[in-house]
Amino acid sequence: MNASSLPARRKVLPDGVLGMVVFVFTEIMLFAGLITAHTIVRTGAAAGAMWPPYGQPPLPWQETALNTSALLASGIALLMAQLEWKSRGRDRMVSMLVAGAAVLGALFVVMQGREWTALIAEGLTMTSSTYGALFYLIVGVHGLHAVAAILALSWGWYRTHKEKLSRNQLASMAVFWYFVVLVWPIIYWRVYF
Amino acid sequence: MFAVLPETAFACPVCFDANEENRMAFLATTGLLTLLPLGLVAGVGIWIRKRARALDEPQAPDDRGTPDSV
Repeated sequence: MNASSLPARRKVLPDGVLGMVVFVFTEIMLFAGLITAHTIVRTGAAAGAMWPPYGQPPLPWQETALNTSALLASGIALLMAQLEWKSRGRDRMVSMLVAGAAVLGALFVVMQGREWTALIAEGLTMTSSTYGALFYLIVGVHGLHAVAAILALSWGWYRTHKEKLSRNQLASMAVFWYFVVLVWPIIYWRVYF
Repeated sequence: MFAVLPETAFACPVCFDANEENRMAFLATTGLLTLLPLGLVAGVGIWIRKRARALDEPQAPDDRGTPDSV
């Protein structure tokens, strides 16, 4: 059978998007493992012990709610950029929305950094307790993902500005950013409360 | 196997733990980590199949989207 007799292959999903979806699957399992570890340690400590442990500060869930809203707004901005591109093509508004998503994401990371500084000053460190170790590990891993995604968004904004970004490239970045945005409320719920 | 060797089952935190909340946490997270990857693969498989069927359906010439864009 020669190549010309084979049926034409049809792409259901662009390669970049499919690759990112598979990568996000592995990331989902990473965070599921981390949250599982936190849940087991927390319920184990609950037997006759305190959570947070004695002498360790409670996590500032009120301030973090503001960070969370910035991150969710960033995800909405990127969704609007995709919808704008779909309906009107790659215009100036797409570029502005991608930039807005990156700025809101950066705001989230900066506010998280401020929160960490305050918590370290209060005595919560990686080595102060399992509570601190798990908090910095889970939130830190998420923060690293957020930084990587913000760099990708900034590159995306630059390419959009130069009218070089393709719609599939934006879709691949969006898959990763939506993951970073949507996994955060789960972390917030499981770790902060 | 566990029925024959009950002591072995007692060593498993899903089967036995003095702290009921901890045992439930082990049980729930074991279920989560078992079903999550299966659900992810099944979910994306179903979605790709639906998308392939949608692309197979005949469309009006001016309504035909580019198959390589999302």
